[in-house]
Formats: sequence, structure tokens, C-alpha cells
Amino acid sequence: MKPIILQGHERSLTQIVFNAEGDLLFSASKDVGVNVWFTSNGERLGTFNGHNGTVWTVAVDSQSRYLVTGSADNTMRLWDVQTGKCLKVWEFLTAVKRVAWSEDDSMILSITEQRQGQQSMLRIYSINREDPTNQSNTPINEINISTYGPKATVALFAPLSDVIITGHESGKIAKYDVKTGEEIQRTNESHFGEITDIQLSPDGTYFITSSKDKTAKLFDVETLDEMKGYVTETPLNSACIAPLRPYVILGGGQEAMNVTTTGQRAGKFEARFWHKLFEEEVGRVRGHFGPINTLAVHPQGKAYASGAEDGFVRVHWFDESYFRSRPFGDLEPEVEV
Amino acid sequence: MKDWTAEEDPEELPPPSETTVDGITTIITWKLDEHDRKVKVTRRVRRKMQTQNVSHTVAERRRLPKFGDDKGKATGPDRKTTIVGENIHFKVAPVSAKANEAAAEPDAPKLAAGKAVICRLCKGGHFTAKCPFKDSLAAIENVDMDDGGEAPAADGMGGILARGAGAGGKYVPPGQRAGGGAGESMYRNRDDLPTLRITSLSTDAEDEDLRELFAPFGKVARANVVRDRETRESKGFGFVSFESRRDAEKALQKMNGHGYDSLILSVSWSLPREQR
Repeated sequence: MKPIILQGHERSLTQIVFNAEGDLLFSASKDVGVNVWFTSNGERLGTFNGHNGTVWTVAVDSQSRYLVTGSADNTMRLWDVQTGKCLKVWEFLTAVKRVAWSEDDSMILSITEQRQGQQSMLRIYSINREDPTNQSNTPINEINISTYGPKATVALFAPLSDVIITGHESGKIAKYDVKTGEEIQRTNESHFGEITDIQLSPDGTYFITSSKDKTAKLFDVETLDEMKGYVTETPLNSACIAPLRPYVILGGGQEAMNVTTTGQRAGKFEARFWHKLFEEEVGRVRGHFGPINTLAVHPQGKAYASGAEDGFVRVHWFDESYFRSRPFGDLEPEVEV
Repeated sequence: MKDWTAEEDPEELPPPSETTVDGITTIITWKLDEHDRKVKVTRRVRRKMQTQNVSHTVAERRRLPKFGDDKGKATGPDRKTTIVGENIHFKVAPVSAKANEAAAEPDAPKLAAGKAVICRLCKGGHFTAKCPFKDSLAAIENVDMDDGGEAPAADGMGGILARGAGAGGKYVPPGQRAGGGAGESMYRNRDDLPTLRITSLSTDAEDEDLRELFAPFGKVARANVVRDRETRESKGFGFVSFESRRDAEKALQKMNGHGYDSLILSVSWSLPREQR
């Protein structure tokens, strides 16, 4: 497995995402740039220039036409993926921490930071796909997360896009109705630390969360029941579910502030592969020189990418042996290749 | 008549040429160095065509013009932003608690195992009969059982123990730590790793065979067979780098003189370039 190392950022990565076909990778970082790369050879297609602060979050629609980004310059922007043009700027009073697309690409959500007397807000916007420069400034719904408890850090649209699932600073996981804006379900004891990432499974029936409490967990979308848990020895910053094979990939490492006082090994900056069902660790991929901040997996399960505090993105295309692997031998079904 | 003025003019560079013989392409390009002297650059590469079936939308996106900071740049990866890293050996297998311990303290010598079960072959925590390396190691072990495989464990370990924490738990910069040279870097120098040179190797052996052969002794960082640049035929020797010096020493002891594919391997330390 030869990683492709992408060095397009000067500061640590905040989020990376693949598009639906897996041929493009979008990366956002604490410098002002957003980059898009061809995953097959690591060539950079372009940069999206315009933000004036840390870009916290990036999301691409399923047709790879529009990109939405949220930044610490208190704006959310809509971009044309093919030309890099900025189509729309929404302005807020605090930083935008998370954005996501709905399943049918007709809506986006944004989470703004709770700061300077502002509440943690979840806003849902309708996207005009025919005339992309003509977008509404007013959200179709606005949910004040702070009235329900601690602030939200991550969110995504559940399948069918009638519900939004959020992860919170306290470790709480909740569901909000897109139409009414009400909290319809919550679990307070899911995690005991800030939830750092949330990603949906390929079939959309369950999702994975990673947390600063050093665990990652699988939850049922319908009931929010905890299905599986993966306990590691470092705070986790990201987690994703690999399609095709029964693995989840977890990434994290020591807090950035402690990195300079320890070596690469002690920091545990590897991406960890865990068996999804047996909850056992099955492999590690090292290479980063700082904690992994964000992980993304190719939608067809052929590759995964990691972005870290060291400012590098590493794209790994899986070897053939990965697809034939049966780490627990006869306990697992025969693999057909 | 030949135009002799052309040769005098340093600005005029011969056009680049490309010739293909037996699948090997020779690319000759010319450039001027800092003193305006002509430099001929010859690169010989073997090109392999790789076809990939992709959907129409993906194929269309491949033809998109670059934008933003990359506007107007040539197609193909830019070396400034994209590099291909070193090969990572990634095998999906259960990571046992024992392996975790070893990773935490990679250089700490194994303390007395007490009554715990120890495999006679690989020194793992299981019965010898259940050793996963039974087939490959049994033969090796018999070759020089009397030499006492345990001997070298203490050598070369002196300074490393103090490496992690400095005296009194004070922070010690990596460069000043006992046993450690410079700090760790993302691009590890290949001379930093304990490397063995394996000669009289069967020409049929591949990189992976070499790795498999040496894997029982410890974590193999790199294993490669030296090949002819043009014919890609093995030259009959190769290099294996271990993550830890102790493992390398163990492998050197056990594998030197070991029979492999009807040849007797000769294993020695690989010397840095200037010493060879």
C-alpha cells in the first residue's frame, strides 16, 4: 500500500470528504484554503479561495456539482465544484462548525458555534439548484440547540432527510425533526466526552460516532440504540465505516498541545482498523506525524484518506490482500473476490 | 552544410527526444544549468499501461481545467503538492494485547517470562505446537540451536532504556536523548534502520517472499530484492530492514547459512554507502 501524500495546506486539516464516485477528495484546513484532489493520482484540480479564517467543515453534494463550506470567518459559502467559483455567502454572528447535505441535495444544514452570547444554532437552508447564485438568506428552519442542552458539534441528515442526527459537546446524541424543529429523541449517556465526528454507514441504517472519551460507537439510526463500541487508548477525532469489508477506521491521537513532548510512537498517530462486529483491533496504518483529525473512506470501499494535525492528507488505496483478508479465519464468511 | 553557429548559441537547445526499445523508453531532454551550460538529461523508464473503467461523469471530470491556485498548470500531479509515500505493509490481522505492549515499549528487553507459556520457536506467548511460524521457523531453529539464540539481547541496548523519559521526567529534546539521534521525521532515512544484506538469494524470490522469510524475527520495515534496472531480473541479493536492531541481530544469527530454495543464504549487516 503506497500512500499518496497531499501537501496543499499549511496548517492542520479539519475535514476531508470524498465525493459520491470517490474520484475527488475535498480537504479543508485551518489555513484559509479548500482544496480538491483527484484521488487516483493525487493531482490537485483546484482551490476554492475566498474564506478569511479557519475552514472548519466541508461537504459535497451527491452529484459533485456544489460544495458547501463553513468557516471561522463567520460565513458559510456555496461553491461550484467544476470552476471553483463562489456562488453564495451566508453570514452569521459566530463560526460555522459543521455543514452537511440532505440525501436529495435539496437542503443543507449548518451548525454555528455557541460564543459571545450567541446560542448554538442549527439552521436548515433550502438550495436552489437551477439558479445557484440566487439562494435564500433565510433558513427554512432554525433550531436553537442551546435550549435543549449542551451545544452541538457534529450533525448529519438521516436517510430520507426528515430527521437530523446531532452529536454534542457533552457526549449526547439527539434527533431533530427537520420540519417542526423539535427534539424527538435523545440519549445522554452515549459518550462521556465531546463527540468529534459522525458518519453514516453505506446503507444508512446505522452511524458511527467518535469521541474524546477514547471510544467510537455504532448506533442505530431509527432507535439510537448502541450497537457496538470500540475502546481505544487515545482520544478519537474521527471514525468511518468501510464499505465492502467489516471494518471501521478510527483516527485520533494525543492532544495537539502535548505532541511536542512525545515521540511518534507514544502519540499513537496511526489510523486504527477495528473489526466492526467482533470489536477487535485488526490493523494499524502509521505515517502521520501528528494526531489524525479527520478520516474519510472511498464510497466504494477501495481507499481511505486521513488528514492530520501535521497538515498532510494521505490517500491509501487498499491492496488486493485487504479485500481477501479474514483476520479471524473460519469465524468469518468466505470472501468472494 | 552544417550550421556551426547553432552550436555556439547556448540558448538553442536540441529538442527533447523519446525512443522506445524493448518496452523501455529513453527520454532525452536538454536544459541549461546555472552557468548556462547545456546539460543532457537521460531518463530510461518502463511504461506500463493501466486501464481503468470509470463512469462518464468521472471521465468528464478528469478533463476539467484547473482552477484557483492551480489555474493554467499542466495536467498531472505537481511535485510541490503531491508525493508518493513509501510502501506501507498493511496486513489485516488481529492486533493482540501483547503486540500493543510491544509497541508501547519497543526497545525494552523482555523480562523474565516466569511460568508463562513461551513458544520455543518464535518466543511468543503460546504453545510451540500452535506457533504460526511452525513450518518456517522449525527448520531455521534446528540449523544453529547450539549457538544459543538468546545471546545478543543485551548488546546495543545500553542507552536506549533511558530514551523515553529523561532524568527526573524532565523533557529532553530528541536530539539530546541517549540512544536517539535526531528527532523522528516523516521521511525516515533508509540508513537509520538496521538493515541486513542478503546474498546468494534465489533469483525467483520476490520482495514479498523476502519479507515473509524474515517476518518471524520481528517487524520488517522494508524488504526488497535488487533487480536489474532494465530487465527487472533479480540480481540475487536483497536488503531487509527491521524496526529494531535486536530483531535484526536475531535474524542475522538465524538466517546466515539457512537454506532457501536450494541455495544457502549469506546474511550480513548492510553497510552505509560510503563504507562499502
